[in-house]
Amino acid sequence: MSITRRVFLRNSALAVVGTAAVPSFLARAAMGAAQPGTRNKRLVVIFQRGAADGLNIVVPHGEAQYYAMRPTINIPRKSVLDLDGFFGLHPSLAPFQPLWQQRQLAIVHAAGSPDPSRSHFDAQDFMEAGTPGVKATEDGWLNRALRKLPQPSQKSAFEAIAMGPSIPRILSGVEPAIAINNINDFSVGGRNPKASPVANTFESMYDHSLDTVLQGTGEETFDAVKMLKSADPSKYKPAPGADYPKGRFGDSLRQLAQLIKANLGVQVAFADIGGWDHHVNEGATEGQIANVLHDFSQSIAAFWTDLGDLGEDTVVVTMSEFGRTARENGNRGTDHGHANVMFVLGGPVKGGEVYGRWPGLDQSQLYEGRDLALTTDFRQVLGEAVARHMGNKNLNEVFPGYDNQPGKFLRLLG
Amino acid sequence: MPVGRAKFAVILLSVSLACTVPPLLAKKRDKTPPSAGDQRRALHALNRLTFGPRPGDVKRVMTIGVDKWIDLQLHPEKIDDSALDARLEPFRTTRMSTKELAESFPDGQEINQVMNGKKPMPSDAALRMVYQVQIDRQQERKERLQEAAKNTNPVAAPAEGATMASGAAPDADHSATNAAMNHGATGNDTAADTNTGTTTDTSETTAVTALPAKLTPEQQDPARRREDQLYADLDLQRLASIPPEQRFKKILSMSPTAQLAFADSLRGGKGQEFLEGVPLKQKEILLAMNNPAGVVTGELTQAKLLRAIYSERQLEEVMTDFWFNHFNVFVDKGVDRLLITSYERDVIRPRALGKFEDLLVATAKSPAMLFYLDNWLSVGPNSPQAMGIPPHPYGPHGRPYPPRRPNQGKRPSGLNENYGRELLELHTLSVNGGYSQRDVTEVAKVFTGWTIDTPYQGGGFKFDPRMHEPGPKFVLGHRIKPKGEGEGLELLHRLATSPQTAHFISLKLAERFVSDDPPPALVDHLAKTFLKKKGDIREVLEALFHSPEFWDDGTYRDKVKTPLEFVASAVRATGAEVDDALPLIRQLNNMGMPLYGAQPPTGYSMKAETWVSSSALLNRMNFALALSNGKIKGVKVDVAQLAGSNPPNPPPDSTRTLAALEVSLLDGDVSKQTHDSITAQIDAAATNGAQQKQDKKTGARKPVDASRPPDVNTIAGLLLGSPEFQRR
Repeated sequence: MSITRRVFLRNSALAVVGTAAVPSFLARAAMGAAQPGTRNKRLVVIFQRGAADGLNIVVPHGEAQYYAMRPTINIPRKSVLDLDGFFGLHPSLAPFQPLWQQRQLAIVHAAGSPDPSRSHFDAQDFMEAGTPGVKATEDGWLNRALRKLPQPSQKSAFEAIAMGPSIPRILSGVEPAIAINNINDFSVGGRNPKASPVANTFESMYDHSLDTVLQGTGEETFDAVKMLKSADPSKYKPAPGADYPKGRFGDSLRQLAQLIKANLGVQVAFADIGGWDHHVNEGATEGQIANVLHDFSQSIAAFWTDLGDLGEDTVVVTMSEFGRTARENGNRGTDHGHANVMFVLGGPVKGGEVYGRWPGLDQSQLYEGRDLALTTDFRQVLGEAVARHMGNKNLNEVFPGYDNQPGKFLRLLG
Repeated sequence: MPVGRAKFAVILLSVSLACTVPPLLAKKRDKTPPSAGDQRRALHALNRLTFGPRPGDVKRVMTIGVDKWIDLQLHPEKIDDSALDARLEPFRTTRMSTKELAESFPDGQEINQVMNGKKPMPSDAALRMVYQVQIDRQQERKERLQEAAKNTNPVAAPAEGATMASGAAPDADHSATNAAMNHGATGNDTAADTNTGTTTDTSETTAVTALPAKLTPEQQDPARRREDQLYADLDLQRLASIPPEQRFKKILSMSPTAQLAFADSLRGGKGQEFLEGVPLKQKEILLAMNNPAGVVTGELTQAKLLRAIYSERQLEEVMTDFWFNHFNVFVDKGVDRLLITSYERDVIRPRALGKFEDLLVATAKSPAMLFYLDNWLSVGPNSPQAMGIPPHPYGPHGRPYPPRRPNQGKRPSGLNENYGRELLELHTLSVNGGYSQRDVTEVAKVFTGWTIDTPYQGGGFKFDPRMHEPGPKFVLGHRIKPKGEGEGLELLHRLATSPQTAHFISLKLAERFVSDDPPPALVDHLAKTFLKKKGDIREVLEALFHSPEFWDDGTYRDKVKTPLEFVASAVRATGAEVDDALPLIRQLNNMGMPLYGAQPPTGYSMKAETWVSSSALLNRMNFALALSNGKIKGVKVDVAQLAGSNPPNPPPDSTRTLAALEVSLLDGDVSKQTHDSITAQIDAAATNGAQQKQDKKTGARKPVDASRPPDVNTIAGLLLGSPEFQRR
């Protein structure tokens, strides 16, 4: 992690005040933030698909119950990377430690969707639609979040992007969004910057097609292809120290950083990482969960390093459809549970703190007698990012049916 | 062609007059000439019941009669498929039992057993060679990990997989044979069954839990190892000069180090020059040296794609794909790599048009499903095994057991809800089926003891009473009396005959065959048929294919093709000859639909929203161009013949070529927009060409590609990449 201007300023702001609770105006002043709206704010959402085990990710090592309920898969006190004497990071999250120390990374525990569903499919659907319990919602909240941004800076085909072969539920809707799997393959008829005749013919075919679904996607696609060709993001190599791990998730974030650095106007972006559904042999400090956590944190830390000063206008939020049972099951794994942990990383984040009320793990405190109870609705966290970072105050449209009063925000953004 | 069509129209007119014409179609026929209507009807049926029409298929179906053809497809046993069988002949593993597969293509667990001395090395010399390479590799990996652990701080790199994720790991057992599996795997039996909607790209972690720490002398001595390596490389170089039929024998006689080097040379699909011309069975063994399970999954994926393209029993293949997807299992979850061959062949395909309950029971008992959804490990909390009671014959039910002992042993001792939940949510009732968390837990108890006899040696289903939770269970308001294995059968019967299940299955069938959002009246009608005919899938399909909704004008070309449907239909439409299906399989991986590679139990989506995206469209256009230009390796396409311009016929001009290809690839039903766009390119090229000729005189030059009229191949590619070809 190279020391960027932002970090330097952040640290000097801290030095001035000498406390973790830096007033936001002071932090802003120290960072020399520009006028709101003149810069491109970005929100990056990361979905951990498969229900990550929040209790083994940010470990409540101050809870004796935690150790009692997980005899074989707990993270021993000596192995956790302590955060505040009560919570600690799983040792595979070591790449997060400097981000925490620099107060760029915040944690919200016992957070998630209030819907009781323990179906992966439904719970992911609810969290992406942004309307837990309502199946009729047609679009995703991240798409709706784009709709009323205060300053629609000049339209970019890359305003909303999903890293992957298809548009996920969270980004589907009326605002144009594109899915991009591999930026090097994102063209027709070769990578020649001059449009090839076949590309023109395809473009004309799709532009004029009466097939509305394909016409719309086609139009977005060809705009994006042209922009990408002129911006040539492949010339932006990862910054020194940005060591992306091999694999799909690292590739996604590496390419996302390229698109952001190429100044393509990315406002919202989405990436996902699977492999969290550990019903059997979950592992503890080593094993399945350790492996996926390493991939997860190393990729995000590399992304953060790679963004450099662009990180100042970027907020990254992670989520997973639900947590896992507080007790381990009979196969040294965990079954589907309820509340989970979210990470929030970014320039304006007041990090170095675990937000949210901890509900406890005593039998009487568990949700339905088996899972971590929920004390923070995920829409509170996302609502704050959408309203205070992105500047879209129409939270009733982004999260319909949820009373997202600014007074309810955790105030984790400066 | 126009003459022929008119003749067929006459034949068809008489056929369709003889049978009952669906009312909506009859209405339509008032407006359009009968021939067009019938042709469209045949095309629609082909679009929905097959992986797309081949050249001449529409005519063939019209000759037989659409209804008669549908009836034939519903009875695949009456259709001769020997040409396909001949094509599948080289894929030996698709005919082997799981037990044979487990022996010949050992999984990581099998290798561990041998390494730990729990099993002897196989006596067969060739097989021994396969095992030895795997053992050597495990040793190498272990060393590398030890090395890595030494060099990193103990917190950051404790786990084997963690090191791998950072890229230090070899690409392990993933070879080109198993190109479909390049999205990675979680190796041992602990793999995640995530409902991710995406596949993970973790590295192979066919983990070795306990490795012998002792290294062989040559591994301890770097100088000696280098020297061995040198000789191995020399051996390898000589190999290519030996006649193919002698290479196997030569490799068999090489030193273990040279054999390892040979296996390594096959990594990532390389080293094909060594394999060319080698007799089939020997080639399989050589490929297995690099990646044993990869041989099995490689042949399986190739066979699946070839079936989709070439089987005459198209509906059976469509339905096999449908049910596999409904009862999805993920090929890269541990030993499922070896179990899926039998799962599809013995469980799914024979019942694809049979009774739903048979299918449900067969999947419930299949090792592939038991493994994928972890049920084989689920143990009743009060079962003899969990209570630590030593094995004895199954006693009377409800007998009080001594207090529970803390779980000290390594054996699983508790419930696993994974299968119970997905059985209700995905296999039968659907997520809105009105069950609770309590029901899920009770279902899990019912299925305790449904396990696998020796999963890594290819054993089958076993009911183990020692794992079974005693006492009655209460599911969905019903009391299930204790009766061991019978409890599960009773529950499956109840689920298979439930109206919710009938509705859910009908909805999914309507989504596959009619539209993404099928009319509720149709779904209700199908659900009633399902219940009345006791879950007879053939009867439900028959009702579907004769429903007015299926033939409604709005459903024609309304479904967006999935990547599999798109690739298979493009190959079929061009009448291509596939010598090697692997390059096509790689295309499917690119398009986000690796065969057998859906990690979540939901399987792949059948809906447009999933498959229409920028990435997807670009992939499809590029694939279309590559296919028609003969740039997909192993796939021969003769577009000129399709366009009717084969010698001795003179090559027609581009406009006539376009017209001919519109007929052969899209049955003449092409939108004005698509037609005009391609025509515009042809015209522009003509203008530019004329311009260029003039420029030549003045010395100015134009870029070459803009002036060349699109050739026959490119026109075919443009049509295959057009909006209308994305739909069926």
